[in-house]
Amino acid sequence: MKISAEQKSGNENRVILVKRTIPNSDPEREESLFQELRELAKAAGYHPLGELTQTRFPDSRYQLGRGKIEELAELVRSTGAEKVIFYNKLSTTQLFNISEICGCQIIDKFQLILEIFAKRATTHRSKLQVELARLRYEVPRARAIVSLLKKEERAGFMGLGDYEDSYELDLKKRIARIESELESAEKDDESLRVFRHRKGFSLISLAGYTNAGKSTLFNAIVNESVEVKDMLFTTLVPMTRALDLGGRKALLTDTVGFIEDLPHWLVDAFKSTLDEIFLSDLILLVVDVSERPDLILQKLSTSHDTLWDRIQGVPVITVLNKTDILDESELETIMEQIGYMAPNPVFVSAKEGEGMTALKAEIIRHLPAWSFCSLSLPNSEKGMSILSWLYEEGIVHRVEYGKRIMVDYEARKEIISKAQALMNAEEN
Amino acid sequence: MWDIIPVDISGRHRIKGGYYMVCAAAALTVSADHIEKVKQIKILPLWLKRSPSLLDIVQLVEDTADQLSFEGTIVAEKGDMYNKPLWMPESMFSRAFKYQESIAERRAIELVHHISLSARNLLINELQIEA
Repeated sequence: MKISAEQKSGNENRVILVKRTIPNSDPEREESLFQELRELAKAAGYHPLGELTQTRFPDSRYQLGRGKIEELAELVRSTGAEKVIFYNKLSTTQLFNISEICGCQIIDKFQLILEIFAKRATTHRSKLQVELARLRYEVPRARAIVSLLKKEERAGFMGLGDYEDSYELDLKKRIARIESELESAEKDDESLRVFRHRKGFSLISLAGYTNAGKSTLFNAIVNESVEVKDMLFTTLVPMTRALDLGGRKALLTDTVGFIEDLPHWLVDAFKSTLDEIFLSDLILLVVDVSERPDLILQKLSTSHDTLWDRIQGVPVITVLNKTDILDESELETIMEQIGYMAPNPVFVSAKEGEGMTALKAEIIRHLPAWSFCSLSLPNSEKGMSILSWLYEEGIVHRVEYGKRIMVDYEARKEIISKAQALMNAEEN
Repeated sequence: MWDIIPVDISGRHRIKGGYYMVCAAAALTVSADHIEKVKQIKILPLWLKRSPSLLDIVQLVEDTADQLSFEGTIVAEKGDMYNKPLWMPESMFSRAFKYQESIAERRAIELVHHISLSARNLLINELQIEA
């Protein structure tokens, strides 16, 4: 049991962090997971006053052993903590039993993530997504919550009738309402994607574990200044900016990061946001290469797990970020260990702006192929108007004005077919 | 490029008279995000009257992988090993073993999953086993 020096400081949002570890698990890995819980608590604005761990298999009533829960209750009393945050997923009965003994609010890691998301949700859609995630989290617990709450209640609690059913039905109705609203937003997104593709834009998205440096890389590539913090889930609302890749137009989207054990209901709730990643033409998977190799592998594994069955054949470039912290031999050693998890690796330092040229070259190499052609346009007003349109839709490599306008041109196949059709129509 | 042997077992549920399991293993060369080459595929069925233990599963996987003349790391889903921590099945195998991690390894597991499932369905039909 550890109690920090802050415990008497009278800070608001004082919490105790608790984690149960499985016997024989790797201590270093368990410590890194606990560190993630600390950072999540920090991101939600909490001040951890104490920490408690126990190595054992889960107890069905308390998650930890009964004695450890009493120790936790004593720690809560002595520190004046207002909340206890468990790393492990808690059942409704466990939540109820532990809060009865500790006399304060108990939440688990998933509720903590929901709190962070709720704080960061600024747009109408992200608020709906957070609400949907919260409701989906609550549904399986609805019956148990009501029956636990009315355990000591007499007739009259929430009126007469079948409380469990009505509460659960109420939640399901709200879920259906939000889902239909989000569905119409998804349709808007889909038509926007089709429109952007038709306009010749390639869609590129940044993906990766939370706090890998996606927003810093985004800023470095598109010269933006979106909020960057050394904090988990800084970005929740996707941000898209145009990117010029040697004449090819692309749109780069920065979006929410992944985290280990992200429950499916949370992934589903953020479907329309994550679709930005899954339905793009190219994914830049950002990795913080300055961390320990086993941690990098773990985070890459989480990212691959989230991506693999949703991205079909979309190419992935692994952007190994924060290389300024390491020297070349260290990078080589890390690559030997993580190579099998890092498709198309590129080393960059988004903070220092290093490796951007190599990254852009790799992006161009993996974008959907464009075709080359030579066009001969009439030197007329109509011909000039076609040429102007060609400039908008693709890359004009060479133009020669004579009796006719000779153009060497590179663009998507559809654009080239359309240009040839326009040219033929003009000549007939 | 890395050589792996993805494995999957279908039929872990009880049917009339016991457990009829089919294990599929493939000899593959993979990159980080693609299956580059499929060299060989083998399947092996197993009847058990009792519910399979972790040791039974490890034995079945090893026997199937031994049919391949191929050296590679055996890759399996965590669920196939009863969600045991890696060190436990790893210490029971006589060759290199790991759980799936990369996109390619996950696709490889998906491939052998379809093979084991369809092979089991075929065998159950052909042998007229009551499922």
